[in-house]
Amino acid sequence: MLASAREKNKVSCHTCGRINPLEEASCLRCHTPLHSRKKNSVQRCLALSLASIIAYIPANIWPIMIVTNLGRTEESTILAGVATFWQMKAYPVAITIFIASVMIPALKLLALGWLCALSAGWIETNPRRANRIFWLTELVGRWSMVDVFVVAILVALVQLGNIMSIAPGTAAVSFGLMVILTMLAALSFEPRVIWDNARQSASS
Amino acid sequence: MKLLHRQTWPRLRDRHHEVACHFCDSLHDVELIEEGQTAYCNTCGSTLYTNRPQSLERAFAFGLTGVLFLLGMLFLPFITMEAQGNNLTTSAGETVIRLWLTGGPIISVAVAIFIFILPFFQLASLIYLCLPLLSGRAFPGMVPVTKLMQGLQSWVMVEVFFLGTLVSLLKLVKLADITLGLGFWSMVGLMLSLAAAVGGIDKLELWDRIEVAYRRRKTPDVSVEGGVEC
Repeated sequence: MLASAREKNKVSCHTCGRINPLEEASCLRCHTPLHSRKKNSVQRCLALSLASIIAYIPANIWPIMIVTNLGRTEESTILAGVATFWQMKAYPVAITIFIASVMIPALKLLALGWLCALSAGWIETNPRRANRIFWLTELVGRWSMVDVFVVAILVALVQLGNIMSIAPGTAAVSFGLMVILTMLAALSFEPRVIWDNARQSASS
Repeated sequence: MKLLHRQTWPRLRDRHHEVACHFCDSLHDVELIEEGQTAYCNTCGSTLYTNRPQSLERAFAFGLTGVLFLLGMLFLPFITMEAQGNNLTTSAGETVIRLWLTGGPIISVAVAIFIFILPFFQLASLIYLCLPLLSGRAFPGMVPVTKLMQGLQSWVMVEVFFLGTLVSLLKLVKLADITLGLGFWSMVGLMLSLAAAVGGIDKLELWDRIEVAYRRRKTPDVSVEGGVEC
């Protein structure tokens, strides 16, 4: 394992990548404030994850779409929507929405919790595995937004007067909020702390 | 110095260039690498930096293409629906306005931000950076513009919107006859050119080039290594 920049009394600028002496307050090249490690990353990440769990509850209870068909109004939640698509034999749509709206957020929150436990030192694993999980978490987070965009397009296009119209439900906003919060949680996480722990246990 | 067959990017000679892995913080020397090569971290295997071929030319060209596609997506007919005598043709820009009017103001603002406004700022920043750098010159405010471009990275969601469109189409074909217009294909073009433009130049290369350009403005005979001189 190579020595870290911090062990050599240096700090890498998060914005431009220049290596600065540890005592500098802001980067010598781009003047961004320097942090050797993101501040309170575990606390921030857990707080934002918790907030996203809170937003996830109304997102699943309240309707995401309100469909009016020949005067009959039908409200559908995310899970009911998946079930409807499945019954309509629209399997690709059902699977896409299920993966993007249910599986990715749930797995992402589990992954962030696991990563926080790792960097707090409660559990141990091969840090390379933590890297892969973190990389994946950052990569897939945005794709959860798919459901919000689907609602947006359907609401804008399906306005056929009395025959059929679709209105957005409250869940659409709380679901979008949930996705944004999990993305912020992933951004505030600091993977380097896991490697600091690994270096420490390797040297002791 | 070893003679390089293909180009490296220019950097200041006034200091020893190092880079730390952004996953594990391992410190490495920055070796000049040829176009198309990538340097990986010795500890965890993550990518440290890449020398993209013809980076400035490509980022600039695809950035400009992306802006044109963005305009096309906004104003050209995106989709035409026909159901029971009702006929509707709308562009993506109109779709956002319709969404605002039909009771989804928050969602319509979110769509406008993620799909039109942030991608536009990202492409415009890239054009503003690459155009002067192509001739080694600096424009004012390049540092904040680069920071803006990097900060927007996670929040540009054109490709997610594309997937959302496909899913909605699968539902809409059951309700109406659908024809896709040029606006839809502009969105596909925007998605591809965004990826090519933003992925066209490495972060480290961009900052090294900006640093050289700024230093050159102050002292024209600045000592530089790499680049065309090699």
